[in-house]
This record gives sequence, structure tokens and C-alpha cells, in this order.
Amino acid sequence: MAGAASTVLSTEALVAGYERDLPIVRGVDFRVASGELVLILGPNGAGKSTFVKAIAGLVPVHSGKASLGGADITDVPAHEKIRHGLAFVPQTENIFATLSIHDNLLLAADILPKEKRSERIAALYAMFPDLAGRPSRRAGALSGGQRQMLAVARALIVEPSVLILDEPSAGLSPKIVSEVFARLKEINAKGVTIVLVEQNVKAALAIADRAVILVEGKVAHEGTAAGLADDPLVGELYLGARRHATVAP
Amino acid sequence: MNPQALMDGLVAGSMIGLGAVGVTLTYSILRFANFAHGEFISWGAYFALVVAGALGMLFGGLATPIGPFSFGWALVLATLVAVALNGGLALLVDALLFGRLRSSRSSVIIMVMASFGAALTLRSLLEFIFTSQPLYFSKALQIAMPLGFGIRATPDQLLSLGVAAALVVAVHLLLSRTAIGRAMRAVSENPQLAGVAGVEVRRVVRIVWLLGAALACIAGVSAGLIVQIRPQMGHDLLLPLFAAAILGGIGSVPGAMVAGLVVGLAEAFAVQLVGAEWRAAIAFVILVLVLLLRPQGLFGRVE
Repeated sequence: MAGAASTVLSTEALVAGYERDLPIVRGVDFRVASGELVLILGPNGAGKSTFVKAIAGLVPVHSGKASLGGADITDVPAHEKIRHGLAFVPQTENIFATLSIHDNLLLAADILPKEKRSERIAALYAMFPDLAGRPSRRAGALSGGQRQMLAVARALIVEPSVLILDEPSAGLSPKIVSEVFARLKEINAKGVTIVLVEQNVKAALAIADRAVILVEGKVAHEGTAAGLADDPLVGELYLGARRHATVAP
Repeated sequence: MNPQALMDGLVAGSMIGLGAVGVTLTYSILRFANFAHGEFISWGAYFALVVAGALGMLFGGLATPIGPFSFGWALVLATLVAVALNGGLALLVDALLFGRLRSSRSSVIIMVMASFGAALTLRSLLEFIFTSQPLYFSKALQIAMPLGFGIRATPDQLLSLGVAAALVVAVHLLLSRTAIGRAMRAVSENPQLAGVAGVEVRRVVRIVWLLGAALACIAGVSAGLIVQIRPQMGHDLLLPLFAAAILGGIGSVPGAMVAGLVVGLAEAFAVQLVGAEWRAAIAFVILVLVLLLRPQGLFGRVE
């Protein structure tokens, strides 16, 4: 699919990490085509979260390049990336717990033109009816699944071209994970490109088009989700048994 | 017990409350206890004094007292200019000191120590420029009006109370009803997530400095109007400011104001019971009691 449609998000030889002399992401080439749902897999410590945070502007990029819709966004500050069409949902603390549900959405909508804000918030309430019931409710009082929905809704307010989610299933029950993934698939079907970092491999491969496996900060393997679902290498990588053998020097 | 302590406490508490609102905003958004905040109170008063003096000299009519008050339009205009100058001073201190420390990801204790240094520098500068002799906006003697129940107040005191109340309502509305208020609350909770949501955190930081300095300036002008202007005036208010900010619950604007009034009243009544020499100890006792019994303060939430 990546070859058929135009590339919307890409990285070239991206090196990133909190300390310059200790990069966690070590030269990742990555491409996502418009409309794809791409999964980023890898064992703990592989650099998955750091990679997407670097794209989102939350982790320093030491070298390489990140592009969105053909524009270089490597050095664009985090608060500007949403204006370029890149939305990011962190793994934890991804809502403002002390703000109301409505204020969480309003905050994200504040960067839109005034006349569009109410329309977008109404559209998101229609998409996530659970949130619409009590908009003045403190977001911190929501359940885990509702929090994830609010985090996704907040990210979607600006109609991003790419939505990046860092382990949205973390801490959720299997039933809620299914609901969250089903909702993500719906959002993807509406044309939003999604990049998903996940540990919940089986459930995530079921909704993804493609998957990229990171090991020790580098791309170790990639392929279609269907192909990887049957690949014994995936299980081995997650168990860590053949990590070193699979990484290119 | 003399009922006049009620009015004295409310007036002192309104100044403490205004300062405490600035402290609570700085603490919750910049995430450190800014011990230089008291100096912004002093600098605000001196800025207003200098500008009012200049206006009075240039336009003599502006110094004529307005109605029952002890000051003329010169001080009103000077306060507006002083608010801007004090905001500029706060931004300058941030650019020269705190901003650099934030960029180098300094720990909270470094920021706090830096604020002590900034406080000393700012206070010493005032003493160097103006000496430690007390100065006054007006030396006109105001007669306190009887308000009933044995309580009296001067028009300046009543105005000071009214301005403080109006400002707290305005700041509360700013935080709860406006986009910048939402952004400030978001940055206070999670600066990184606020950035991802499109909030320019550096802009919010600048606004917090401006707002805190503006409120400190008004508190300084009130204190100068009702008491006197001294380089130590902000420093003397520091402990009550922190007691009020913590009693009110860090991050709560109405909490800081209510707690400011509580601290002011406690000081005023305690002075009658234990003597004026113990006034400074009252805020300290309140601070310790709050930290021991209800560290989240009156309006704060348990984390």
C-alpha cells in the first residue's frame, strides 16, 4: 500500500534520544502512505515510543529528517506540529485530568478558527457519544477506556492528516481494548492515517495494514500485517530470543 | 477584642491575597516557589511612585486628590504604567535567570535558590536607588469613616479592598472562561501534553510572569497607599504570601484570595491577643499547620 498511495509521513535515517551521546533511535527509515494504519512493534526498550515522540517533537532529534506531506518537520516545535496536521496521543497522562471533558476538547479546538470550533466539537461528541453525556464532568473521573476516547477525540479535533498513538491499549481490559481498536479502525476508514505503537501484537495486527518491527533503535523487519501475523519471527522478537541475530550491524 | 481588627485584617489580607495569587500561579505553572515574588510587590510600588511623581511634576492638576481619596489621577495613570514596567521587569528576570535555568533543565531546588538570589539583588537595587527610608504616595491625612459595629475605614482602604476583589474575580474568569486560561490550566497540569495539544508553553510562561507581576504591582501600590513604601515591604509580605498560597491550595486563584484574607484576619486578631511583635509568627504558624493537617490547602485536590 505504501507504494501505491502518496507518502504522508516519513523519516530518513532518524537518530533521536534524550542524550546526544546515547541515542535510542539509531537511524530509522520509515514511510507511511496516506490512509494507511501502520503498526510499530518491538520488544521493550526497542525505541518505539522514543521514535514516535521524536516525530511529535517531544524527544530531541540528533540527525536525520522527519517529513509530513513533503514538508520537513524535523525541527518544528511540538506545539506547531498539530497545525501541520500531525496529532499525537501519548501513552500515559494523555488527557488533562483536572479539566472538564469539554475544556479538554476546547483546548485542542482553540487553534482552529472561531467559527469552526463548535462544529468540530459537536462532530467529536457525535463520534464519541460516551463523552457527550456529561461534558462538564472532570476528565480525571473517566474510566480508562473513556480516557483513551477523550485523548483520541482531542487529537482528532483539528482533523489531522496523521494520528500517532503510543500504546493506547496500555492498562485497559481486553474488552475495552477491542472497543478502542475498533474505533481506531473506523477513524482510519474515514481517511485518517494512523501510526500505532503497540505491545498488544495480536489485536493490533488484526486492524493494521502494515507493521514495522524496531529492535534496539533500528528497523529489524517490516511487512504486511497479515504476513507478520503468521510470522514466527514476531513471537521470537517479542520473547527477545533472537533479537541480536535479526538486527543489521 | 477591638472590632477594628476585622477591617485591618481584611485590608492587609486583600494585599496578601493579591500577592498570593501571583505566587500560586507561578508555583503551579512554572513549578517552583518564587521567593523573588515579594520584590515585584516592592518594585511595583516604586515604579508607580516614580511615574506618579513625574506626572505630578509635569501636570500639576493630576496630583489633585480625586474625591475622598488621598491620591490624584497621577497615581491611577502611574499604576497602569507601573503594571507594564513591572511586567517588563518580571520578563527580564525570567530571560536573564529563570528561563536559562529552565532551558538547562535545572532542578527545582536550583530554581528556588536562584529566586533567593534574584530577591536579594532586586531588593538591594531598590535600597541602592531609593535608600531604605520610607516614602509615601501621599502624606495627606485621611479620616476613617465609621462603618458601624465600631469599625472604621478610610476611602483608600475601601478602594483597595474593592480593587482586590475585582481583580481576583477577573483572574478567576480569565482562567476559567478564556482560551489563555485553559492553556494556563493545561500547562499547569502537564506542559508536555499541552504542547502536543497545540499550546505554546513559552507564551503561557510569559503571560504568567506578566499576570503575577501585574497583581504584585497592584498589591504594592495598595500597600504603599495604606502603609508606606519601603524596599523591604515585599520581603516582609513573603511569608504571609506563601502561607496564603499554600492554605488556598496551590493553583487555586479564589483559594489564594480567601486564604490571604484568612491570614490577614488571623494576623490582625492575633496581634490583639499576643502583641504586634508576634505578627510575623502568625503566618508561619498557619503555614506549618496547613502543611501538617491539610497539605493540599482549602481548595486544592489531593494528588
